[in-house]
Amino acid sequence: MKLKRILVILLVAISVFSLAACKGKETEVADKKDNKPAETKVDDTADDKGKDSNEEAPEPVTLRMAWWGSQARHDKTIAVIEMYQEQNPHVTINYEFYDFDGYFQKLNTLVASDDCWDIMQMGGNFPAYLNKILPLNDYIADGTIDTTNTTEAFLKTTRYNGVQVGVSNGVNTYGVAYDPAMFAEAGIPEPQEGWTWDDYAEICKKFKDELDIYGSSKFDDFAAGCGSGISQFGLEYNFYALTNDDLGFDDYTFLIDYIQMRADLTAYGAYPDPGAIAEIKDIEGDFLVTGEAAMTWVASNQFIALSEAAGRELNLVPIPRRTKDGPAGSAIQSSQMFSISTDSENPVEAAKFLSFFWSDDEANKILANERGLSIFSNVVRALEPDLTPEQIKVNEFVNLIGSYETGEVNPISPEPSQEIQDYYKLIIEKVIYGEMDADQAAKDFYDFAKSKFQ
Amino acid sequence: MKKVKSTDGKRISSIKALIYNETTAGYLFALPFIIGFLGFTIVPILSSFYYSFTDYSLGNKASWIGLNNYITLMGDKRFWNSVYVTFKYVLTSVPLKLIFALFIAMIMTRKTRLTGFYRSLYYVPSLIGGSIAVTLVWKELFSRRGLINQLLGMAGIGRVSWFGNQKVALIPLILLTVWQFGSSMIIFAAGLKQIPTTYYEAAKIDGANRRKSFFKITLPCLSPVILYNLVMQTISAFMTFTQAFVITSGGPNDATNFYALYMYNNAFTYRKMGYASAMSWIMLVFISIITLLIFKSSKYWVFNESDKE
Amino acid sequence: MSLKSKKRISNITYHLLVLIGGFIMVYPVLWMITGSLKNNTEILNGALSLVPPNWRWENFARGWRGFGGISFATYFRNSIIITSIATFGTVISSACIAYSFARLKYPGRKFLFTMMIMTMLLPGQVLLIPTYIIYNKLGLVPSPIPLLLPHFLGQAFFIYQMMQFMAGIPRELDEAAFVDGCSRYSIFTRIIVPLLKPSVITTIIIQFYWKWDDFQGPLVYLSQPTSYTVSIALKLFADSTSRTDYGAMFAMSTISLIPVFLIFLFFNRYLTEGISTSGLKG
Repeated sequence: MKLKRILVILLVAISVFSLAACKGKETEVADKKDNKPAETKVDDTADDKGKDSNEEAPEPVTLRMAWWGSQARHDKTIAVIEMYQEQNPHVTINYEFYDFDGYFQKLNTLVASDDCWDIMQMGGNFPAYLNKILPLNDYIADGTIDTTNTTEAFLKTTRYNGVQVGVSNGVNTYGVAYDPAMFAEAGIPEPQEGWTWDDYAEICKKFKDELDIYGSSKFDDFAAGCGSGISQFGLEYNFYALTNDDLGFDDYTFLIDYIQMRADLTAYGAYPDPGAIAEIKDIEGDFLVTGEAAMTWVASNQFIALSEAAGRELNLVPIPRRTKDGPAGSAIQSSQMFSISTDSENPVEAAKFLSFFWSDDEANKILANERGLSIFSNVVRALEPDLTPEQIKVNEFVNLIGSYETGEVNPISPEPSQEIQDYYKLIIEKVIYGEMDADQAAKDFYDFAKSKFQ
Repeated sequence: MKKVKSTDGKRISSIKALIYNETTAGYLFALPFIIGFLGFTIVPILSSFYYSFTDYSLGNKASWIGLNNYITLMGDKRFWNSVYVTFKYVLTSVPLKLIFALFIAMIMTRKTRLTGFYRSLYYVPSLIGGSIAVTLVWKELFSRRGLINQLLGMAGIGRVSWFGNQKVALIPLILLTVWQFGSSMIIFAAGLKQIPTTYYEAAKIDGANRRKSFFKITLPCLSPVILYNLVMQTISAFMTFTQAFVITSGGPNDATNFYALYMYNNAFTYRKMGYASAMSWIMLVFISIITLLIFKSSKYWVFNESDKE
Repeated sequence: MSLKSKKRISNITYHLLVLIGGFIMVYPVLWMITGSLKNNTEILNGALSLVPPNWRWENFARGWRGFGGISFATYFRNSIIITSIATFGTVISSACIAYSFARLKYPGRKFLFTMMIMTMLLPGQVLLIPTYIIYNKLGLVPSPIPLLLPHFLGQAFFIYQMMQFMAGIPRELDEAAFVDGCSRYSIFTRIIVPLLKPSVITTIIIQFYWKWDDFQGPLVYLSQPTSYTVSIALKLFADSTSRTDYGAMFAMSTISLIPVFLIFLFFNRYLTEGISTSGLKG
């Protein structure tokens, strides 16, 4: 009896819910899918006031846009979207936001069904999505995207074999963050620009000896040992060839030193072992933040978050070099960009919005370089008065790296890069566990990477 | 059976006969499945089969490459490692989980006022599933300074680098699986409830002790449910993905690189959909064989009410 | 020692052992719940203490605020709607299909059953994209329909589970009813369904929390932030490229446990009632 009554209640509840859900569905479908008929209806009512003054109301347009990131980024980006919609009442932007992993899972399904967002945020892995990215060259040429306040060098950070795949939302570079107080405590001089990998290893071991902590927290091995590491052998080398269809060097022994150093430092206890590294999930867990290491690898646009998480004063120094006077191997790169997809039905409107997003002073006062240092000089100037000391530190650092003499650098990773990076991590672990020596590992890894381009 | 139907049939009209026909009823009841299978399942299955013979990568046109994916797989060391790791995981986690679930379900049959409360206590871990918070807790438990290592330290065994030592890295993942034994336990509990009390009463009169009635009554009566849990847990263990994905990302040195994880990475990280599809079809064959073996063996140990003819 | 005191001692040991075991089982959960009252450093460095040093209730307020102006109230509403409908669908459809496979004899039955088992053997990840393409061609994306429809078309895991339970219902019951003039349909509603109660309840409990937990489906098929489910929102806290507000994340994870736990508590009663009559005590 009791069960029956409960089942009845449950049934009623469910049918009420499903009614509500149906309603929700309808509005959602109207909003999204059949936007044309629904949109005109919406605009008739909403735009009445605007229409009187403006005879030629432009065709209403709906754009879909998505990005990944933190709560702060969601709030800021939405504020800018609302600002733009207010100024351009004919444009509706339906936005979606996710965490990093979710974003790419979703994007992958959209790619497979030719249903990508009009405007999509892209990181260094964009070559994998190349045939979904609309070239912006024409929009830049005809001024739809205003690039008067930026430079060719900056635009090149998001150009792939001549195709302008996007415009950078902000640039960054890699560096090493360290805690000066810990250096003082251990009686070790702070690292200086021009320090070498030998210096780095030395410092790591000293910290182990003096304070019994790791000298260094997790490094981005691939960026350090391959991305920068290869270029440090000479300005003419890159890990990936400039044409992005081959490796940019042919001597596998270039790879040995870094792998060997990593294995040595791990064995010494001066660098976290793979188990300890697995405990680092994000910035909060970084051993520099937790006080178990004195240095860590950092992307310049994350330096502020890192300092905040640590709650201590941190400094930023360029990554170590091979030799004191040799090439630095670091370069400025796009931290991420927005691209327009080839599935977009309104690429011109998307380009107009992005131009606003990238270079409008007011919009960028809201965005406040959260995605990296803006490449537009007017934005940099507009933000200048409100910079915090930490932000100034980061900007100066990026400018310093930007001033380095570099050869023809390739700041871009071609399609198989992710697989190659994973393999690099694996091969280092094999050396740490003594399954191969550094020379074998370097050779094996080189052959693996090379085979991905054949 | 047949006779009954035909005498029935004479009395009612032919339409009614059609409706009440066992075949019609069978298909009508199975209709949702048939619609779902034809509408939404068969095409994806067939297309994944087709992809396994192509170099399909997301967003690019697929072109036929014959058996190449399968041939490459045979020479892929990471693939073979993932097979090895997965087998190790399945063979340990499934029996542990089932024994544990059955054990707890049995304990919970003891009639006390607190049984409901106890059952909830043991079931809660399963309710939180694979959420990020849980995986974080798990990482914390097994971290270098985590509770497990503190306890080991107190016991004088010394710390273990759970995620850094290839030999033990699988253990935290196995324990996480076993810890979330709730759904199996619930199914066992429901199965236990179905066993008629009269069986036990009769056994008691015959002087059977507790152990005897467990082996002679509980296990045989529960055997369909055991079969079910065994098949399901084996299948889902072969497909385990989340734990390794969020806790170890397959490391160290690929020691926890489960088959499904490696497949996922091929599909979505390396974007080699064709290669991943080939992997999934090899997996399908593997699991089919194992499931079939379990089914075949079930004739000897599963006691089925409805098969008595 | 008298029989009575012996029994009492055995009772006390039983309760003690079960409680200790239970504590070990729920310890990680308690850690998560108390974590909702800690801040990041207290969570990550405070090791495994269950007592929050400062009771930071503000985590709940901060977490509840949600993302981009949409609070967790919306996410909870979406999740509850989707999960309830899906669970309802699973129970109805799976019971029908299970009855067909387990109790009726007709040509093609074995084949259908094999197909159903096969659908469980292919990992969802490779089927995800082809399935998405179908729904997309049908114009059902973005909408919650792809999340719900499959549940009305039977869930293999539960079909098979119900089949196994039906195997425990004596066939003589059906046959007797059939001889009495019951149709296959009324046998299902009058005999099988009532006897299937434990299995149905099991299905409700498990399907509810599976659906509640499901992240992939909502991620792929829903688009607007106002239609996000709790599972998506919880993931939003953990963007790997930025800082994570663990306190708020734990707070919301704790709240998200409540509906699942309530469903369990509510239905668990029907599993416990009478179960102990299996007489293991003797």
